[in-house]
Amino acid sequence: MKYVIIGASAAGLACAEQIRKEDKSGEITVLTKEQYFPYSRPSISYYLKGAVKEKEMYLRKPSYYAANRIEIVTGAKVTGIDRTAKTVKVGRKIYPYDKLCICSGSKPFIPPMKNVSGKENAFTFLDLASSKAIKEKANGNTRAVVIGAGLIGMKAAEGLSKICKSVDVAELSPRILPSILDAKSSKGVKKHIEEKGHIKFHLGDTVTEAKSRGKKITSVILKSGKELKCDMLILAVGVRPETDLAEKAELETDRGITVNPETMQTSDKDIYAAGDCTVSVDMLDGRKKVIALWVNAVQQGSVAGSQMAGGKQTLGGAYSVNAIDFYGLRICTCGLINAEGEQYSDKVLQSGDSYKRLIFEGNRLVGFVLINASDNAGIYTSLIENRTDLSGLEGNIFETPSLFLFEKSVRAQRLKGEAV
Amino acid sequence: MKIVYAKEELCLNCRLCEVYCKTAHSKTKDVLKANKYENPAPVSRITVYGDKMLSAAVNCRHCDNPKCVQACITGAMTKDRKTGVVSVNEDKCIGCMTCLAVCPFGCIKTGKFAVKCDLCQGEDEPACVKNCPNRALVYVDLGGAR
Repeated sequence: MKYVIIGASAAGLACAEQIRKEDKSGEITVLTKEQYFPYSRPSISYYLKGAVKEKEMYLRKPSYYAANRIEIVTGAKVTGIDRTAKTVKVGRKIYPYDKLCICSGSKPFIPPMKNVSGKENAFTFLDLASSKAIKEKANGNTRAVVIGAGLIGMKAAEGLSKICKSVDVAELSPRILPSILDAKSSKGVKKHIEEKGHIKFHLGDTVTEAKSRGKKITSVILKSGKELKCDMLILAVGVRPETDLAEKAELETDRGITVNPETMQTSDKDIYAAGDCTVSVDMLDGRKKVIALWVNAVQQGSVAGSQMAGGKQTLGGAYSVNAIDFYGLRICTCGLINAEGEQYSDKVLQSGDSYKRLIFEGNRLVGFVLINASDNAGIYTSLIENRTDLSGLEGNIFETPSLFLFEKSVRAQRLKGEAV
Repeated sequence: MKIVYAKEELCLNCRLCEVYCKTAHSKTKDVLKANKYENPAPVSRITVYGDKMLSAAVNCRHCDNPKCVQACITGAMTKDRKTGVVSVNEDKCIGCMTCLAVCPFGCIKTGKFAVKCDLCQGEDEPACVKNCPNRALVYVDLGGAR
């Protein structure tokens, strides 16, 4: 069997590893357009601020790939998929496949702005190469402007705040981190970031154009009319699934690549897709969503790999779970944090700098937002994932969760470490 | 593989397991200094939950297919192929705590890095088991693949 995987991040690596677990002899080739072996993409902001060295960012030791006969081809930008011949093209080079998995990830979404495209001090922040380029240019005199206060923009801003003279963040939404925080908690997080990082926010606002001298942006103009001096512009408005190859190959797409939610198979039986390039069905509300998060990518990649190798692993269901920190403030969220509708209810516990919000649908937990209150959060996550009926629980769900939430027989199973 | 197993009917909620876990994972390895004076204070990797009537000490189950390993965004959390021990490489860990967000047993603690039970690597018996006064903690192979 010849397995080809496009993309070498969370989903691509998980896919390759699962194939190897289930097929000891097949040929596994992983093609990445990047110049690096699989590395931790979320670590690029930690690299930027100097908290982690490049060599610590690699997900596996170099010897691991040889030992497991996983061939990683770097600098290999796939230019086309021929579904009839069952080949993948990288320039002139042809890679035949029996089973293919597309793990092409996200691409940055850049809204139209005047005079920004092609400027030498405008950067996206999605990969190690971009983090290196930014780190090389940023210094104590740099006045940085970040467009977008989502996960990527805020992590870029945090990293830059340790290096630069000033960091301004413009965000069209009225609040920061809209994908992981609700309106109330985002206010507290914003205040913390302003105080600790000296970051200045411009919410409900965005950059409409840049002023430049030659190829260099010198300032940006916001929608509100404000002008900010700018030596470095970070474009982090958002990301979209990278579906170009799939679309050219006429695979079904709907924002992301359409896959069978249990098997990750695309509309072509020999082609699978996993990770940020796909559209998932959120098991908690049945809606189609792009869940561009690490855990989801690894689970999907692993299922795709198993299926490609003739195995039986299927995806139980997709949901969002994310943990992140900003200047020591720990944020942990899961599920439907912005759920709207009569069927949902919620309760907030707040004291000092900690915030705990649990979201329910009837007798089930469907989401949580925990700020400096994430102790044992995985127990909440397991209640969400298993759709546990909370009326059968013994303890108080608002206290720090522990195995004593469960009745004796369930607790006994869990103490043994049995499947949950 | 052997893991630490708690018998809740024997647990006294005395928390000596926590005291000795901290000591075993301290700089000084001295009970008094580790539990009172060390800065940063060592974090116990085992926690007693419950009340005086019913309690149990919980630490890492060293799962067959650990969610924490699957969720780790840096490759810092790994399961050793030979020993089965799930451990954190502190040079690689960035302290994002995604592992904590997915551990269904509540066995990962927050420190500068993710902190968890390493079964006192190199010792015949983990410190918590060795020092449990009522043998409520045992170091056993529960069978199965693990």
